[in-house]
Amino acid sequence: MLDYEFLINIWFVLWGVIWTIYLVVDSFALGAGMLAAFIPKNMGQTLQLAKSVGPFWGGNQVWLILAAGGTFAAFPVIFSKMFTWLYIPMMLLLLAIILRGICLELIYHDENEKLQNAFRYGWSVGSFLIAIVLGVAFTNFFRGLFIGADYAYEGTLLGLFNVHALLGALLFVLFFLTSGALWGAHKTTGAVSKNCGDFAKKSSVAVAVVALIYILSLFNTDGFAINYNAYPILYIVPTIAVVFALACIALSIKKSGRPFFAFLANLGTLFFGAATGVVSLYPYILKSTLNPEFGVSIFAAASSQLTLTLMFYAALIFVPIVLIYQLWSYTIFKNKIEEA
Amino acid sequence: MIEDIVLLSRLQFAFTIFFHFIFVPLTIGLGAMVAGFEVKYWKTKDEKWKKSAQYWGNLFKINFAFGIVTGFAMTFQFGTNWGQYAEFMGDVFASPLALEALIAFFIEGTFFGIWHFTTHKKPMLKAISMVLVSIGTMISGVWIITANGFMQNPVGYELAADGSKILLSDFGSVLTNPYLWYMLVHTLLSAYLLSAVFMIAISGYHLLKKSNTGLFQSSMKLGICVMIISALLLPGLGMFYGHYVGEVQPVKAAAMEAVWEGGSGVPMYLIQIPSDSAERNLVQAVALPKVGSFLLTGSFDGEVTGLNDIDPEDRPPAALTFFSFRIMVVLGILFLLEAFAGLYLLKKDPAFENALSQKYMKLMLYSLPLPYFAIAFGWAVAEVGRQPWIVYGLYRTSEAVSGVPAIQILFSMGLLILFYLILFVLFLYLMKNAIVKGPEVKEHA
Repeated sequence: MLDYEFLINIWFVLWGVIWTIYLVVDSFALGAGMLAAFIPKNMGQTLQLAKSVGPFWGGNQVWLILAAGGTFAAFPVIFSKMFTWLYIPMMLLLLAIILRGICLELIYHDENEKLQNAFRYGWSVGSFLIAIVLGVAFTNFFRGLFIGADYAYEGTLLGLFNVHALLGALLFVLFFLTSGALWGAHKTTGAVSKNCGDFAKKSSVAVAVVALIYILSLFNTDGFAINYNAYPILYIVPTIAVVFALACIALSIKKSGRPFFAFLANLGTLFFGAATGVVSLYPYILKSTLNPEFGVSIFAAASSQLTLTLMFYAALIFVPIVLIYQLWSYTIFKNKIEEA
Repeated sequence: MIEDIVLLSRLQFAFTIFFHFIFVPLTIGLGAMVAGFEVKYWKTKDEKWKKSAQYWGNLFKINFAFGIVTGFAMTFQFGTNWGQYAEFMGDVFASPLALEALIAFFIEGTFFGIWHFTTHKKPMLKAISMVLVSIGTMISGVWIITANGFMQNPVGYELAADGSKILLSDFGSVLTNPYLWYMLVHTLLSAYLLSAVFMIAISGYHLLKKSNTGLFQSSMKLGICVMIISALLLPGLGMFYGHYVGEVQPVKAAAMEAVWEGGSGVPMYLIQIPSDSAERNLVQAVALPKVGSFLLTGSFDGEVTGLNDIDPEDRPPAALTFFSFRIMVVLGILFLLEAFAGLYLLKKDPAFENALSQKYMKLMLYSLPLPYFAIAFGWAVAEVGRQPWIVYGLYRTSEAVSGVPAIQILFSMGLLILFYLILFVLFLYLMKNAIVKGPEVKEHA
């Protein structure tokens, strides 16, 4: 069997990777959902936008179940505390996921105009809510929670919605909007494609500005920079994020630019931006702002060596298989979507 | 205000899981049948199979959309409401959940997307992706019932040195837990039964209206065949499941038959009203000698534990378990009769045109809710009968909850109830429309 400490570290990395993959792959479906509230001028265009993510979003959403299930399997205590301490936000996230899923899946289903409109706005509201809750939750994880001795949680619901967390929510919304807009520009034709492209030109700049303020205030938060100062090489992670953000702006603004490359650059920003936060957490996942030692560390929370080994091999076999067939599914639906 | 967070957490979980399970059986059973239609069309290019796949696939789609997202509620609640449980059990219980996502949900989610957005101009891709979705639903059943089987009959674990949690010791025995396989077979068969009744009821509706008779005659035939097989196997195999429950969960078994005083050769009463507070049956009549022992042990002289042999604090709610079990069994017998009647008509009147067939089709339309109730009551037997344990004999439900303020649970439950009621109305509306509209289904590409 693999060395226990090594396994726990591996699982920390996998934990970060799976959550980050989720944010990246759901970003454009969530973004398309938010855009659905104001980009399409009629139902035909709404359906066009919905179909641009239609075949992909369901499979992508499973990364969230895997992220939750993987947290549960690898670090049961972290899973328990994360969901218990953030009870109300998690319940809102649940409702938002259900709302988004049903509306997006069934929007094509019924010709009733009123119902389709309800689905359109339900899809949109659900997507906004998911982005906001994720932004608030992750910012609080990156900042640390009010965890006392013996995991006594002293935070309040209102305390979770601090200014920094609201900035995080705004950042996630902007990230996903940009992701969705660039995907829409790439994947659709006509007015929707053009409007999405125009929107991304503005939003990619907004992402860069808000991200900069957000990251600077993270590095100003107590305890955030510990790992970075111990291993300055880690500064490469936020640096890559910045490079991707600048590339995204350049590629979005360029007239002859292909939005697909800007889209990839935005996903890169998102991936390395999230990684910037995850790097700061180690060896905790739930940090304490009261006393670092009160946080829930991966070593205190980890499952047994046997479970971690088993799940490690399962991930080693199945994650690549999943990635292969999910990427393959994009090649089946390579045509651009026209207005319905 | 209710302050009992154990009760509130249980009510919320029960509400969300029952709601989720409205969609699960049809997704499993109808999914397999739609996959069959898709393969038929791919192989024969007969328009009838294409229309069948489109019509039933359309209904499957609605059901699938509701089923997938309502399943999130369970994963979330293990953390939000059952945090102590998650920490105590996570080492064993969580791996099946993660494997379910990794092995089953990704297949379901990804290939559902492919199937949904592929037209019948590519019959092979359409068929293969639907077959994969269907396989995914069944693999998903294996993993979730692996987790539930462990809660019923914990195996392959050891207690941590400090007693604070359990640790996985043998994953092989978790997977070969007989409880898992009894329960899985029972669950899958009941899903096929429900889907068969659904197919018969809806086909009958169209045959009564004389619309698309060719298509719905073959659907009717498939429905009756699936119904007769599953309605026969359910009690047949269910009997062995019952014996096994009697062996590993004797207290649950005693509650299922409301046996208060144990012993050998106990009778079964056809009419019985148990009372938890009186600790006896208020009414018991029409005894079948020794049948009680046979049902719970497999032997007419078998030794049965009585509820009064057990401390009241270690007993499940007997009346609720008993009535749930009885209702399930009575409905099971009714399904068997309906299936035989269907088989008889299939021989006598394969076009389902005579007066008797008309009556049968009306009966089946009204029977449509019954398998849903049978499945819900069956789960009530499994889960209420497991009480007061969340993991049988190992960990009590009352120890398992998160320390969340009652007001927050009330808030989330209120929101969920309101939201689910709207969703349920929406579900019924969409299903009714899609059923009535018939097989003229638009395809999306």
